[in-house]
Amino acid sequence: MNLDDALHTFIVEARDLLEEMEDALLRIEQAPDADTINAIFRAAHTIKGSAGLFGLDHVVAFTHVAESVLDLVRSDKLPITAELVATFLGVCDHLGVLVDHVAAGTAPDDATHRASDELVNKLRGHLGEPLPAKPATAAAVQPALSAATSGGVETDHWHLSLRFGAAVLRNGMDPLAFLRYLTTFGRIERIVTLADAVPRLSELDAEACYLGFEVGYHTDVDKATIEGAFEFVRDDAHISILPPHSKIAAYQRLIEDLPHEELPLGEILVRCGSLTKSELAAALSHQSAPGESPIRPIGEILVERKAVRPQVVEAALDKQKQVKEHKRTESGLIRVNAEKLDEHINLIGELIIASASARLVAQRVGMPALLEAAARLSRLVEEVRDSALTLRMVQIGATFNRFQRVVRDVSAALGKDIRLEISGAETDLDKTVVEKIGDPLTHLVRNSMDHGIESAEIRLACGKPAHGTVRLNAYHDSGSIVIEVADDGGGLCRERILKKAIERGLIKAGQQISDQEIHELVFEPGFSTVEQVSDLSGRGVGMDVVKRNITALRGTVEIDSVEGVGTTMRIRLPLTLAIIDGFLVAVNAATFVVPLDMVVECMELSAQETEAAHGRDHLNLRGEVLPFIRLQQLFDIPEVPDVIDPEADGAFADDNTQSRYESSSAILTAEGAAALARDPELAFLLQPVKRENIVVVQYSGRRAGLVVDSLMGEFQTVIRPLGVVFNGLDGISGFTILGNGNVALILDVPGLVRRVAGREGRRTAKATAYALTE
Amino acid sequence: MTKNILIVDDSASLRQVVSIALKSAGYEVVEACDGRDALSKLDGRKLHLIISDVNMPNMDGISFVKAAKELPGYKFTPIMMLTTEGGAARKQEGQAAGAKAWVVKPFQPAQMLTAVSKLVLP
Amino acid sequence: MSHPATVTRVAIAGEFSIFTAAAVRDQLLAALGGAAEVEVDLAQVTELDSAGVQLMLAAKREAAAQDKVLRFTAHSAAVLDTLELCDLSAHCGGPAATGAADTAGATP
Repeated sequence: MNLDDALHTFIVEARDLLEEMEDALLRIEQAPDADTINAIFRAAHTIKGSAGLFGLDHVVAFTHVAESVLDLVRSDKLPITAELVATFLGVCDHLGVLVDHVAAGTAPDDATHRASDELVNKLRGHLGEPLPAKPATAAAVQPALSAATSGGVETDHWHLSLRFGAAVLRNGMDPLAFLRYLTTFGRIERIVTLADAVPRLSELDAEACYLGFEVGYHTDVDKATIEGAFEFVRDDAHISILPPHSKIAAYQRLIEDLPHEELPLGEILVRCGSLTKSELAAALSHQSAPGESPIRPIGEILVERKAVRPQVVEAALDKQKQVKEHKRTESGLIRVNAEKLDEHINLIGELIIASASARLVAQRVGMPALLEAAARLSRLVEEVRDSALTLRMVQIGATFNRFQRVVRDVSAALGKDIRLEISGAETDLDKTVVEKIGDPLTHLVRNSMDHGIESAEIRLACGKPAHGTVRLNAYHDSGSIVIEVADDGGGLCRERILKKAIERGLIKAGQQISDQEIHELVFEPGFSTVEQVSDLSGRGVGMDVVKRNITALRGTVEIDSVEGVGTTMRIRLPLTLAIIDGFLVAVNAATFVVPLDMVVECMELSAQETEAAHGRDHLNLRGEVLPFIRLQQLFDIPEVPDVIDPEADGAFADDNTQSRYESSSAILTAEGAAALARDPELAFLLQPVKRENIVVVQYSGRRAGLVVDSLMGEFQTVIRPLGVVFNGLDGISGFTILGNGNVALILDVPGLVRRVAGREGRRTAKATAYALTE
Repeated sequence: MTKNILIVDDSASLRQVVSIALKSAGYEVVEACDGRDALSKLDGRKLHLIISDVNMPNMDGISFVKAAKELPGYKFTPIMMLTTEGGAARKQEGQAAGAKAWVVKPFQPAQMLTAVSKLVLP
Repeated sequence: MSHPATVTRVAIAGEFSIFTAAAVRDQLLAALGGAAEVEVDLAQVTELDSAGVQLMLAAKREAAAQDKVLRFTAHSAAVLDTLELCDLSAHCGGPAATGAADTAGATP
């Protein structure tokens, strides 16, 4: 741990605290309880304490004024008003800016200083009586700091002086047990066992304790915890604990307090590494110098001589105490650099591949013991993977809570009364996803507030409550996390969207379009139904960008809207981006991975079924219509490695160029024609040996079948993103490397299902007829 | 070497919780439901710590401690008493009898483990 | 050993603690009384506490005072662990430690 690391910790900690402070500020108007006030105060107080530790005087000075005001609130001398809350939201933001400067290593610019001054003036207004002029404030802080920075000794370990009473052993207390206990949360750097008091054996009372210890001890816990180690022996022992970088005067006092030692304690302190030789010399020389008071001046002399490092002892202690207080609820938690975690997960990804490879080799060799070992290995690797992935999981609550502020600010700007309701805050999802979902969510929320929720007059006229509601909700649904942004506004206006879409040439006038498809139009680039682009949501970032961002996360977004009642935008995202459980299938020589959580069932197609399905794109699955896709056709996979069907090329290209707004019969015809063209050859090749299998997949409530040659079973896989070249390859979301070194493509099931459903939607009537005649 | 701890309390649930906590930390645990029962457990087995309630039927904690301190195999065994707030008089009595470690009820299992590990690590 | 007649061997077994300290003290005093050189075998010690440690130091002092040699040998793991904890391995540690190289280093 060096100073940079510590500063980094401070930055992270300060940002967390500011977040807590903001949350508390937003809660406090509704529920002004002591806990919430304390939370705000504690946040300011802790930041001030830590900032002092790093010499961030401007942060200290600014926070100090805020803290004074908060102190008045805490002691009920100042009421909580909307104005006060607004000021403190400003303070919170400003502290965020100051912390950003610290993080960037830059000094605050003039504008920042002006903002500081403005806020300080506002705060003073709240204080009622004007604070002392600014220089005086600075002066009040400065001396405290400089006093704290002086006189500390070099070493960064605690020094413990332990003298045990004679009765300790008889009482069942073993001094060594306490030392052992200390080693459970710290490290004994040096120890000197004081045995002067131990007599020769003939004079020894074997049950009396004669021992003492001088200990140089390294730990991150606070003094109270160290003292706690000796709680049961307090009455029977003399325990002195000196914190790291204690003033030389403290050691001096220690030396004076324990004068009976035969070996000068000073030398023991040097031996413990608690004092350097020169520090001891300084302490002793001063001790013997006549005419000066024994304690205070030495620090000053040392400071004058610049003999000691400036250390902010009290600030450090104060900070430790605060951190302790703050962290009490999360004790047992470790803060880990997210990059390290990513690296760890990448390695586990490699491990999964390596273990799959070992398993393949074992299968090839066929040695039972090896197979068993490989199986055990892969089981363990799987467990490691699961536990590693849970390390990345965070609750979405913190992200949701940020929207309290967004909603507050935006509703003020819009002049609408809008409330935010949050549910499912405890839903876990991958940290990477959390980080990337913030912007799209913000856009959706703003969009709902701006375009969704009507003005109070319209609402009242519609019989709705005057205040609008935006709801954020999250839940898990078959391997995905679903995040909903819902409003009780006017809903999407079908006519307006249609008009706009026709204007833009996205659809033809008179074309039959389902509600779902109309809603989809909102995500088309440049699509906005509001004529005047408002200040808030119309900043050139359209819903198409939202959709693109979500798609980049392998997610989807859909809209449910009822005119006059409200709109729900539903984002569906994978729980994690790194690793999936896959189901391996083969089509000729090619291998594909289907995400296992989307697989509903797999079955072999009988000869009749294969026959019946030919030339069609749906089949009868136990009386239900199941649209399907032939992967072979979709990806144009050569039947036999060197025979390429020229027809298939054409079919694939045709299929690909079909716009989803073109009439369905065109797609059907193209596909049907292609399949028919291939039919004789297929039939010939398939009939004697080859059976077809169908993998039924499901995504967001819709099912589709994927026709493949063979099923190769479950396979754990690390998703690697497709390179630039392959990006946008239809139906593929990534690739992975198999244990045997081959590449397998990961199927984009949501995309495939959507493709199939697109056909299906327009053909429901036809399909129903088909099912009935079947 | 495993460390053996005797827990004496008339509340079975308390014994259970403490016992589970101690066992999970790696200690061996012997249970007794009151002072008399506890004395019968002082049969020569090595105990590294005795945890005892104060108020118990049959024989209370203080009497038990006094009796235990008379036995050669247990006279130096560390004793931790469980007490409620405000039992100051009894606490003095217990300390005089040689019970120096006191833990106030109610406590969390983790607090108990911390207190125990100050005296004997698993 | 070159002088087998003058070396007395004592073995301490099991717990070397407050419970046994008084007995061990008597045992070692007796051994020192009857020989110029005492070797204390610690191979069977299962537990060493503060009482045991200070007894070892006192025994060293006693030997030095009587101008005799007292050695601790064959330290068990439990003994080594405790001596290391109080950084006394050098004083009560290896078989090379003799009465002349006395004590815990806190003698003036």
